[in-house]
Amino acid sequence: MPEWRPEILRRLAPLRLSPAREGEIAEEIAQHLDDRYQELLAAGLSADSAFRAALDELKGEDLLARNLRSVESDLYREPVVLGKGGNNLFAGILQDIRYSFRMMRKSPGFTTVAVLTLALGIGANIAIFTMMNGLMLHTLPVRDPGQLVEILHHYPDDPEPGFNGFSWDAYQIMRDGNHVLSDLIIGSLNVYVVGGHELESQTVFGGNVGGTYFETLGVRPAIGRLIDPQDTTNSSAVAVVSWSFWKSRFNLNPAILGQKITANGTPVTIIGVTQRGFYGLSNQAQQVIWLPFSLGDRSSPGFSVGLLGRLKPGVSTRQARADLATLFQAALDRPDANPFMRRMELRIEPAGNGVSTPASQMLSTPLKVLMATVGLLLLLACANLAGLLLARGASRQHEMAVRVCLGAARARLLRQTLTESLLLSLVGSAVGIFLAYFAAGALIRVFAAGRFMMGLPVHFEVLKNADAHALLFTGAIALLTGLLCGAAPAMSASNTTPASALQPGSKIGETKRQRLLGKGLVASQVALALVLVSLAGLFVGYLSDLRSNLGFERNNLLLVTLDFAQSGYNAAQFSRLSQELVTRLNAIPGVSSATFSEMSPMEGPGASSVASAEGHPEKGTPVSINYIAPDYFETYGTPFLAGRDFSAHDEASSRVAIINEAAARDCFGNENPIGRHITLSHITLTKGDKTYEVVGVVGDAKYNDLQQPAPPTIYADLFQEGFIGSQLAIRTRIDPSGVASVVRLTEAAVLKTIPIVRIIGMNEQIDSTIVPQRLFATLSAGFGALGALLAVIGLYGLLAYTVARRTHEIGVRMALGAAATDVMRIVVRDALWMVCAGLAIGAPLAFWGKRVAASLIPGLPVASPLPIVVAATIMIAVGLIAAYLPARRAMRVDPMVALRYE
Amino acid sequence: MDEATSQVEWKKGSAELLILFLVEARPRHGYEISKLIEQRSGGTVRFHVASLYPLLYRLERRGWLHGRWVEKSGQRRRRYYRLTRQGRRVLASQLRGWHEFVAGINRITEAENA
Repeated sequence: MPEWRPEILRRLAPLRLSPAREGEIAEEIAQHLDDRYQELLAAGLSADSAFRAALDELKGEDLLARNLRSVESDLYREPVVLGKGGNNLFAGILQDIRYSFRMMRKSPGFTTVAVLTLALGIGANIAIFTMMNGLMLHTLPVRDPGQLVEILHHYPDDPEPGFNGFSWDAYQIMRDGNHVLSDLIIGSLNVYVVGGHELESQTVFGGNVGGTYFETLGVRPAIGRLIDPQDTTNSSAVAVVSWSFWKSRFNLNPAILGQKITANGTPVTIIGVTQRGFYGLSNQAQQVIWLPFSLGDRSSPGFSVGLLGRLKPGVSTRQARADLATLFQAALDRPDANPFMRRMELRIEPAGNGVSTPASQMLSTPLKVLMATVGLLLLLACANLAGLLLARGASRQHEMAVRVCLGAARARLLRQTLTESLLLSLVGSAVGIFLAYFAAGALIRVFAAGRFMMGLPVHFEVLKNADAHALLFTGAIALLTGLLCGAAPAMSASNTTPASALQPGSKIGETKRQRLLGKGLVASQVALALVLVSLAGLFVGYLSDLRSNLGFERNNLLLVTLDFAQSGYNAAQFSRLSQELVTRLNAIPGVSSATFSEMSPMEGPGASSVASAEGHPEKGTPVSINYIAPDYFETYGTPFLAGRDFSAHDEASSRVAIINEAAARDCFGNENPIGRHITLSHITLTKGDKTYEVVGVVGDAKYNDLQQPAPPTIYADLFQEGFIGSQLAIRTRIDPSGVASVVRLTEAAVLKTIPIVRIIGMNEQIDSTIVPQRLFATLSAGFGALGALLAVIGLYGLLAYTVARRTHEIGVRMALGAAATDVMRIVVRDALWMVCAGLAIGAPLAFWGKRVAASLIPGLPVASPLPIVVAATIMIAVGLIAAYLPARRAMRVDPMVALRYE
Repeated sequence: MDEATSQVEWKKGSAELLILFLVEARPRHGYEISKLIEQRSGGTVRFHVASLYPLLYRLERRGWLHGRWVEKSGQRRRRYYRLTRQGRRVLASQLRGWHEFVAGINRITEAENA
């Protein structure tokens, strides 16, 4: 049979087709010529003339190429051998991507695990970042937001950012004396109930602003005019509302100007609407209404102004602080200044991203810690995937070696491997965005349940219309993840040495270095998982600490808030009716006691004062005050240490008080306080001093802050003071929600005109104050579990792969008499070595992480090594779990089969 | 115009039609197609390799034909060409055009001879 191909290939050569295409055409035409040749032979021609006649079909040297040129020319210009150097970068990358997709499709199990791993890591990062972005990273839509600073003051030992509320004196001194600010404006964040004729009442954020507020911020009106200095001087009853309020409540009707509405019950006239997009000074609290700051009673104890400064060009916050602190100190040194303030220090914070609010104070640290945690998680996911890719890369070494032999450039192999990991990361990010969408939604719901939250922060819708920050972050994280995962496998792939990899019978070989790299990656996963799990333990322990040692019994306690504001009751009526209500509540089956008080624990800050004990007039102790009815301590479950409870007889006698242990210690030291007197001065919102006889001492109970130790507290008699207590507490023997409806009925029967504002369990009230801590605990526990799971996968992957690779060796050992248990020991020892190495790296990291967390979150129980010990135990368990299947497989290796394996 | 040149021109116009027509009934390989053309034309129309295959590839690229390697037991694998849906439409319209053209020519020549 004649050889046609060389003849055909010679004619095709000028076309420079791809080898594959060329081969295909040659095969088809060669067949045709062959058929023709056979036919001619059959017709009786000699072999020689049949050959020439068949070859004649090609019609000379160049006709075939000429005819083909127009058909084939624009088709295959690129080299098809993967990894062969080419000069068309774009086509090469497309080819890499195509090939990567093919690899992903070929091993769906691996791809699924990899994509899910990355999606969880990336999704968690996007979710937390989105929240941070929405809460803290947005600059305010005002003129030169970078120059804005917030003026705060705080106690030196208090880690919280502080308060923005200054006396009129302090404001004037700082305004007139400073050299660093171009403007010092009054603008506070308040809560208003807005209502009015044909306008449904709504609780919103608003502001009490000075006359220069809008001008200094560079805000213009959409319609009408904004508040000016005239309004504050005249204390005009006017209001400015936001564009969004105008849209949602008035449907952009210009007739809004001149409308009368009420803000906290006070009638005001709307004079203008701010420009679209302006929402006040905080990213967390969308302000919708602004009233002119009313000078009112400037000397009243409750009077304070919120301050915001605009730095002069070139002035730093440090310079501003130095300058203003001296002025602030001068204000504090005045004789009539509040003694509480004396210890305060001034603090200047940049306000371009919004002023601090309860929400931002509550959320900013948790979010930073969570961001760090999810960062660790992503790192762990990367190490995990890198390990899996490395193992897979080792089994593909033969392939890589063949490519190198065919002339693939190492850079090209590097690029191909990186393309694969980048593509995985890209798909992972896509799934991650999907996960983040739900995760962020859930997080927001949890945050919104917090005590100080009202409505959603301004930019929380950000996931639905992602901004440049979020997109940039997502892109960057996807790229970074792809590179991190792919770096080690790519290096190892490009370092293929064909000579050894292609040897017949060579174990799908790794070098010692690659093996060490694989183990190192697993150890680093164990280390990172140890950090995550121990942090989770820390936060979970912290949360349970917070929820215990309260000083009162939090279970089976129902809290009812009543609204006496519109009732017109006087103290005597309240005293009689409340006692009647308590009697009837006590008669409800399942209720063991009930009581009234002004505040309930964790409800919010109540009154405070400075107490000086009889005989120690020079020493003032800051104390918290609560006004309570009899049976308060029985109902809340706070123990009496000495003395007695209030009784109905006290109402008419001289003032008596019950103090807690902390107050007794601070005021009286070791002396017995019963029967002694205590004088309270500077009581919140009142003037003048009051002296009480101490009749009882009770155990310490948390007042408003779970994270601080119980403050020195004075309990005074609600009825004796002639106050009305709106907090009703009911101790039950059964689930408190079981009596809620009966309580409602009873209350309505006794206090006919008093509406119930809310009914809530004590546990719920406590939980609403520790939203960040609960989130921490829940999320970090979730991340810890995820980390441990990833470590299992990583460890399992490597062990399973090692056992598969060593099947031959294990078979030899067993043939030589090794018992199944010996083989198992090899695998388990391998696993435990990696876990121990991981623990050795992870333990210092975990200790360090604990310290960092403690510096951010005061009160974290860092002294206990328990979380790390527990985490280490978990990691060892994880190691054994991961080793179980591979060890079993190793034990079941049949020497006969294994030795045939080659 | 000598006879050879005129045949080239004829073939150019009709080649596509012939190929599409021949694979309409069932898929065929290149040699089969060339044989059928030669046989049915009584040897007057012949395609040699250098023009048949480029034409097949062209039709394939236009999406009128679809070529596929088929392996039959005991034989070498061969590339079979099948008419695509689009090819079928093209064939129908070309056939119609061809019939109209022939009918037109016939009318002219018959009128002259009558």
